[in-house]
Amino acid sequence: MKKAVGRIVSLFVALVIVFSLAACGKGHTGKPSGANDAAHQEAVIKLSLWHLSNSDSDTNKIVKENAIKTFQEQNQNVELEVDTVENESYKTKIKTAIAANEAPDVFFVWGAGFAKPFVDAGKVLPIDEYLKDGTKDKLLPGTLANFTYDGKVYGLPACMWIAVLYCNEELFNGHNVKIPDTFDELLTAVKAFRANGIDPITVGEKDRWPGMFYQNIFAIRTAGVELSNKALNKEASFDDPRFVESAVKLKELVDAEAFEEGILGLSNDEAQANFIQGKIPMFYMGNWAASQMEAESSKVKGKVVVRNFPALAGAQGDAKGALGGAIDGYMVSAETKHKEEAVALQKHMCESIDTGAYQAGNALPAWKAEVDESKLSPLAVEIANVAKDSTGFVLAWDTFLDPAAADVHKNLVQEIFAGVKTPEEFVKEMQALNKE
Amino acid sequence: MDRVLRDKKAICVFILPALILFTVIAVLPIFFSGYYGMLEWDGIGQGTFVGFKNYINLFADNDVFIKAIKNSFILAGLSVFIQLPIALLFALILAYGAKGENFYRTVYFIPVIISTVVIGQLWMKIYNPSYGLLNTFLRSVGFESAARVWLGTAETSLMSAFVPIVWQYVGYHMLLMYAAAKSIPGEIYEAARIDGASHMKTSLSITIPLMQPIIKVCVTFAVIGSLKSFDLIYILTNGGPVHSSEVPGTLMFNTIFHKFMYGNGSAMAVFIIVECLVLTVIIQRLFKVEQITY
Repeated sequence: MKKAVGRIVSLFVALVIVFSLAACGKGHTGKPSGANDAAHQEAVIKLSLWHLSNSDSDTNKIVKENAIKTFQEQNQNVELEVDTVENESYKTKIKTAIAANEAPDVFFVWGAGFAKPFVDAGKVLPIDEYLKDGTKDKLLPGTLANFTYDGKVYGLPACMWIAVLYCNEELFNGHNVKIPDTFDELLTAVKAFRANGIDPITVGEKDRWPGMFYQNIFAIRTAGVELSNKALNKEASFDDPRFVESAVKLKELVDAEAFEEGILGLSNDEAQANFIQGKIPMFYMGNWAASQMEAESSKVKGKVVVRNFPALAGAQGDAKGALGGAIDGYMVSAETKHKEEAVALQKHMCESIDTGAYQAGNALPAWKAEVDESKLSPLAVEIANVAKDSTGFVLAWDTFLDPAAADVHKNLVQEIFAGVKTPEEFVKEMQALNKE
Repeated sequence: MDRVLRDKKAICVFILPALILFTVIAVLPIFFSGYYGMLEWDGIGQGTFVGFKNYINLFADNDVFIKAIKNSFILAGLSVFIQLPIALLFALILAYGAKGENFYRTVYFIPVIISTVVIGQLWMKIYNPSYGLLNTFLRSVGFESAARVWLGTAETSLMSAFVPIVWQYVGYHMLLMYAAAKSIPGEIYEAARIDGASHMKTSLSITIPLMQPIIKVCVTFAVIGSLKSFDLIYILTNGGPVHSSEVPGTLMFNTIFHKFMYGNGSAMAVFIIVECLVLTVIIQRLFKVEQITY
């Protein structure tokens, strides 16, 4: 009884939300325009596919459309129902749909902590047996880690990401400042820009996750990749001087007025716009920001260079570790009626988007792809080089932790930005999450 | 017609459709929320029954929720003591027959019609620290030191987010009060004028007392609306920075949809409902003086 009632109500809530969201999203079926009618008459299998929508200026939009188009051309017996919404709405939409057993056959998802409740509830299809056809060999090592739960693989990665420090070379050269490779040089650069009346760094801390990047990368520098991952896995304590140091360094940066005024009220889009306007010399963000910097309308086109986040002298962590990993991917619903076709679609979407996005300079590949690097934008090659030089990766903590802990973590980092929590309180409360 | 109204069966038949709809859409979910509030549940898998733990947790060691409630009461206070008097003043001036009555009535009502998202974006631009209207104005008149990061500072974010909310609904309450003032028969004013009463006197002794029922409605709407406010806060600050502008609505949304804590969030929802019901009753009591008629 309880279950049935729960289902009805959650279904109702889901419907309300899905309808309201669907109204905003651009729903369309992915029929190729050139497909012939004879093939269409045979179209018996319908698969639903959900993914994130992209703005028209985003080159990822074309990559995804191409992936869908090529799948349709190769599988004319399958009809796709594609639905997309924007990032934050998508998180709510997919959660509600899965809760109501209304999940689409194939859907975009973030691995690790985000998808864990779905997997735990048995709503996701384990795909180990479908990967024996050589798919596993096509993937770069380690890229399945965030889609593996209790030794079973539940999803495939559709790209790798890495966070890099974007620097506006024009501003650096114009004011005779050296692009920082170490933390001390970073502080020097901050002072130099401040003296010239320029805000040195921007971050959209209203959204909370962009600021979290800074603490996370500092933790890689002060505690290292291995310890960070261990602590996130609850195998090591956050209440450790090395994690305290990560918050101390962030506080130093805040106290040095490194960040633009008003960051607590700034969204990531606004922060990124400020950088693209050429007003701000430094911006630490994922590689996805690169394509907009290289867009025709960008005022910093051709002026941006990237670095890994500055190293920290005397710190015990990894000077060349980076924030990133393979977390974006696709999963198949356990409820799907056409398992074979759905997994085929999943594989195709992941591989095709992965290669396409790399070619377009939007992402790093998680699949072994043959890509002509000479056609990539110089910025994309630079980012790929930073990734190659990295000695290890840690995911953004909010995607790794389970959602409730992630929320607390992001709040704690925001409180360091606001100066209301001390680094010691920060690690104590982080460790309290591990003990729950 | 009278025969139909005396027929109990007929009454049932006519009431039933609306009653069923209302029960299913409004009443049942409240009880379900009450039940979900007793679960520890991520909204997806199976929940475990934990009794009143979630309800107790709302107040025990949860400064944020208490702060959110406090904030919503501040908003209710602002609505009743600032928004409604302004609305009343406008309504009286317009109902008295000021020049351009129709024009101003429309103008004041415009913010109510505009989508909240648009209003949110509008005020975000006004508050923008570098190019916003507010700071630009302050700087241009020499109050450089008064310029702030309005939405991004814990000290100012709450009030900055409340100003648009209060502003938006002035027109709404004005329209209700204006309609009430307009429906007062003209003879009463005529008689008063013959007796030598001034405009001020007629407003205070005739218009406002006769508008009492609608003022009660306005106060109820203003208080309830403030307690369950969500949309503009969500757009402007999302409760931040560091929970300074949190209201129960934003906290509930984040708890359910970002933290996956369905049980906790439902407990908050139930609290908001109960809080609204209790306050409605209190307001009804406060206004329960004898009806004035002339």
